Amino acid sequence: MENNELNLPGYEIPEDVKNVVAVTTLDRLLNPVYNWGRRSSVWPLMFGLACCAIEMIAAQASRYDLARFGMEVMRPTPRQADLMIVSGTVTKKMVPAIVRLYNQMPEPKYVMAMGACASSGGPFKEGYNVVAGIDKFLPVDVYVPGCPPTPQALMNGLIMLQKKIDKEKISQVRWYRKGHDSVEIPVPILGPDLIDPRRIPDIKAAAAQPVTTPAQAGG
Amino acid sequence: MYGKGILKGLSVTFMRFWNTYWQDAIWAWRRLTTGKKHYGSAEGIAHRSSKNARGIFTVQYPEEKLPVPEEFRYIPFLVFDEGAEGAKEIRCTSCGICAKVCPPQCIWIVRGTDPATGRPRPQPGDFFIDADICMNCGFCSEYCPFDAIKMDHDYEIASYTRNLYDMEKLLKPASYYEGIRPANAAREDEARRAKEAAKAAKAEAAAA
Repeated sequence: MENNELNLPGYEIPEDVKNVVAVTTLDRLLNPVYNWGRRSSVWPLMFGLACCAIEMIAAQASRYDLARFGMEVMRPTPRQADLMIVSGTVTKKMVPAIVRLYNQMPEPKYVMAMGACASSGGPFKEGYNVVAGIDKFLPVDVYVPGCPPTPQALMNGLIMLQKKIDKEKISQVRWYRKGHDSVEIPVPILGPDLIDPRRIPDIKAAAAQPVTTPAQAGG
Repeated sequence: MYGKGILKGLSVTFMRFWNTYWQDAIWAWRRLTTGKKHYGSAEGIAHRSSKNARGIFTVQYPEEKLPVPEEFRYIPFLVFDEGAEGAKEIRCTSCGICAKVCPPQCIWIVRGTDPATGRPRPQPGDFFIDADICMNCGFCSEYCPFDAIKMDHDYEIASYTRNLYDMEKLLKPASYYEGIRPANAAREDEARRAKEAAKAAKAEAAAA
């Protein structure tokens, strides 16, 4: 670790003891250790939604070998996973299951939108049955464009995620805070259409408005 | 005898393990005699992709990259010719054919206006591609009559936010295009020159 990263700003250390003494907090000392441990064992959740999953499997196999990044163990249970690679088209019917899986993952947890469909809906963005991007529901950490992204593009995304984890601070990460940024996402309700529970107050407010039919408005 | 299958399987794994280090020794000797490297070189990757590969055949991605074929395509980019004094002569005429053929409709073109007269001119004012919607089909470059939009080879574009590319990000020089697709660029240049020659000949015939 560099001296300027370790030392707390605002403390003047005399020149002759600069390499011997460091003024720091436990937070600054522990963050790199915490982040190093976290970034070196990002275990993805083993599920695939569409064709992007094929590329994800290829990246996992020995030709590209995610084990080199400490991501070799794909966990089929959310309880042991750190990273959710949303690989493929997210249909409205699938979203409640995905959000539930996300809620079941222990913190720290990360989400990667792999490919056009997961990032924005891709070619199905205006489809009746497809969610236009998983970022409407989950906080996405890394977006990997491509249709599908090649294994190397996916790995580039994973390296970007590692870089992001490197910059994390324990005191500031969102899973140790309460309130708006909380990690618990309300599970969407699948009816005739998908309802996001976070929008229920808006919907109720809109429904409480007096109804004006076109005839009333006109007459 | 029971368990023979297990031993057989383990021996396969063990041979892979042994071969990995044996190959390292072989390539160390090869490096001394011929200067060829197993890792981080084109011939090393080619050997590990071939049927002669023994032991490990992983492409050590961030350090070495699998070479992409010429027709590999990712997000499109706009080609400009370098004019005098670094002026960017954008080939795009904002005709909008690419935006019309784009299946997921990720292209948005703002027609350019002449700053002096305020009248429209055949050049894009701005050009947006939502790289997160783009499905890398290559229709835009297939249909473009001006060879102005081409598919890129760069796949290392993951980001922390949505990827909406504007014209500044999309513009790349023609020399870059010739670098990534030499055969295509040569063929298109040939076709363009032949077309111009035919046009000149026709104009000459009309004048005479």
